[in-house]
Amino acid sequence: MTELIYNKTNMIPEDNELFIKNARIIDPAQGIDTRDDILIRNGTIRSIGKTDTGGNFPVERDIKESNSADKNVTGNKNTKPLAVLKGKTVIIDADGLIACPSFFDMHVHLREPGNEEEEDIESGINAAAHGGFSSLCCMPNTEPPIDNEYLVKYIINRSKEFDFEVYPVAAMTKKLEGTEMTDFGLLKENGAIALSDDGRCVQEPKLMYEIMKYASYFDIPLILHEEDYSFSKSGLMHEGYFSSKLGLDGISSLSEILMIQRDIEFAKRTKAKVHFTHISAMESVRLIKMAKEDGLPVTCDVTPHHLVFDDSSLEKYDATFKINPPLRSSRDRQALEEGIRNGIIDIIASDHAPHLEAEKNTTVKSAANGVTGLETMFACAFTKLCRDSRLGIDRLINILSVKPRKILGINPPSIKQGEKAEITLFDPESWRIIDDGFFNSKSKNSAFKGQKLYGMVCATVNGKKVRINN
Amino acid sequence: MLSVKNVIDIDDLSVDDVEIILENADTFNEVLERDLKKVPALRGKTIINMFFENSTRTRISFELAAKRLSADIINFSSSASSLKKGESIIDTIKTIRSMIADLLVIRHSDSGVMSFISRNIDLPVINAGDGKHQHPTQALLDLYTIKKSFGKFKGLSVAIAGDIVNSRVARSNMLLFKKMGMEVTLVSAPMLLPEDLSHYDVSVKGCIDEIIKTVDILYMLRMQFERQERKYYPSVKEYNRFLELDEKRLNMMKKRSLVMHPGPVNRDIEISESVMNLEKSMAEKIKINEQVRNGVAVRMALIYLILTKD
Repeated sequence: MTELIYNKTNMIPEDNELFIKNARIIDPAQGIDTRDDILIRNGTIRSIGKTDTGGNFPVERDIKESNSADKNVTGNKNTKPLAVLKGKTVIIDADGLIACPSFFDMHVHLREPGNEEEEDIESGINAAAHGGFSSLCCMPNTEPPIDNEYLVKYIINRSKEFDFEVYPVAAMTKKLEGTEMTDFGLLKENGAIALSDDGRCVQEPKLMYEIMKYASYFDIPLILHEEDYSFSKSGLMHEGYFSSKLGLDGISSLSEILMIQRDIEFAKRTKAKVHFTHISAMESVRLIKMAKEDGLPVTCDVTPHHLVFDDSSLEKYDATFKINPPLRSSRDRQALEEGIRNGIIDIIASDHAPHLEAEKNTTVKSAANGVTGLETMFACAFTKLCRDSRLGIDRLINILSVKPRKILGINPPSIKQGEKAEITLFDPESWRIIDDGFFNSKSKNSAFKGQKLYGMVCATVNGKKVRINN
Repeated sequence: MLSVKNVIDIDDLSVDDVEIILENADTFNEVLERDLKKVPALRGKTIINMFFENSTRTRISFELAAKRLSADIINFSSSASSLKKGESIIDTIKTIRSMIADLLVIRHSDSGVMSFISRNIDLPVINAGDGKHQHPTQALLDLYTIKKSFGKFKGLSVAIAGDIVNSRVARSNMLLFKKMGMEVTLVSAPMLLPEDLSHYDVSVKGCIDEIIKTVDILYMLRMQFERQERKYYPSVKEYNRFLELDEKRLNMMKKRSLVMHPGPVNRDIEISESVMNLEKSMAEKIKINEQVRNGVAVRMALIYLILTKD
């Protein structure tokens, strides 16, 4: 038997099979939670169920038992390889693991073109596969910004080189300047999945109204970063107790609330599909709740870091936690968590924002905004929501895998015969203390360094590719 | 012996620390009254005065304090705007680390810069003012000035008047005055106040007239109309009406009360020209020059205590 160590070019050869043995399969699309084997050939699921191995696949029953002996300070880990090659079959012993449809991240900054020293499409895809994703949306605030169809096609073609589906989100205003609309029709025809000026916000109400009307006409969703600059200008963190104490200029939550209020009004008139991204304030959740009750097609997401941290994280002036929108008060954080629980917040998206060491290891005032998140998003959400406060695992999988795709009109993957294999395997009992060595991303500006996270992703199957995390 | 290695934030100091600093300031104050105003206490020690933001008074005060203790002091000035800010700090720190210094005195326009620097360098640091956060040595010299007049702190009432939100002096003084048992009232306007004052436990009034007859200390802050990016206070005329100390108000103050100001005073904005021009005998309440003088003694005490710890 040969040990398999898959890495970046982890194609399974044409005539080989992938056999996932004895996984707990949770598939919200089918509403199932069963224990079964999955057989994959040529990137497609061939069969589900107790496969008759005819004695050909002796399953290594003792793999998990070695766990307890290996508990050390940085994490617990299987001592035996997760995957082995037997003849022409790759066998993954998934005893104790959960298999689910792979995740989808609606909000990623891949930094290509323009800032490849922070991240590029390849390293971003590697980070995504490490985190259990089979697909993602990238945001248009690159240099130059993705505000024309050529760059949309460039992104799509680059990601195809890595057999990974990247859906580009195109800018809704030229150069993200918030003054002139982009070519919505051409952008959509050439593959833009949605439009966004993420990182910026169109300030002029009339222009925003026109954008909504035009987006509604082409039925293309808008992903909105909501920020009123008159409240956020020169701001460094949430305005409240900590900003007052620390002498750091504050950004009132009114900055977000006012724009959400405005755009809900426009959505009422235009019927545009509006998705509010990385919402941060308690009142935002309430406004979106009311809009949903009015039957508007609005949706929203929250980031893992806004679910876990609040403005007290900046108390030691650690610029890692400088984020836009800022980490808000503990009351806001609680409201966001509650929003996930009661379904007002539809999904979690990482707002993966890679930055160089020098951009973050400085004073709060001169530091860049944002943290990375692709690789820790599942473990963070699982630890915070499922382990610490009992959200059902099936609901979390729905939030990370099914709903984000549905919002954008993409077919969610499902673990059944004949479907493309997009399967993530994770171990609900394994944990790790996150450190620099954990990351595949070029940037290490994670808010979770030093934190103990449960639910390590063990493998991501994406068609013919398999990523095994060691 | 101080409980802290650095003086960054008033919150880090215990009441004992403060008392030790004030006692030592008394000792050094006597030195300053001698003919030969110098002691050999810190011969061979090197202090680097790092000023990333313009300052003359504070820098000179530290320089004088170091020299009177016989320490070597090197001035490093760099306007933060001339280089990319982040780079200049980290690069400068690397340079400083390779020089052999014993203490850094730092002023910078970014709040929290000391926390960042002290994480990156293993040298004691004195905060000479960081952004809008704190200016602890100013607060300590103000406290020392109060001690010299009143001999005690408990029960004294202080009003701090003016632009609180942008003031590092106000943040340090509120914390230090409260720590020593004084009653603190802010006299200000909503646009000039931080959003949430609960950390400071102070009361707020809108006009000097509301407190003028009862305060023991009226602490005036500098109102910088010219530095406003956006006009957040309507006018000088409005300011004068509610927040200026003029002769009429000065005459309403209690007998043994004090007027303080961190300097430099904007004449006819926070303090009227006529009050500033009063004959010395008429102006015994006004302690602005004494504050500056006390600054040297207090900074000598701090430098001495930090460099002779362990």
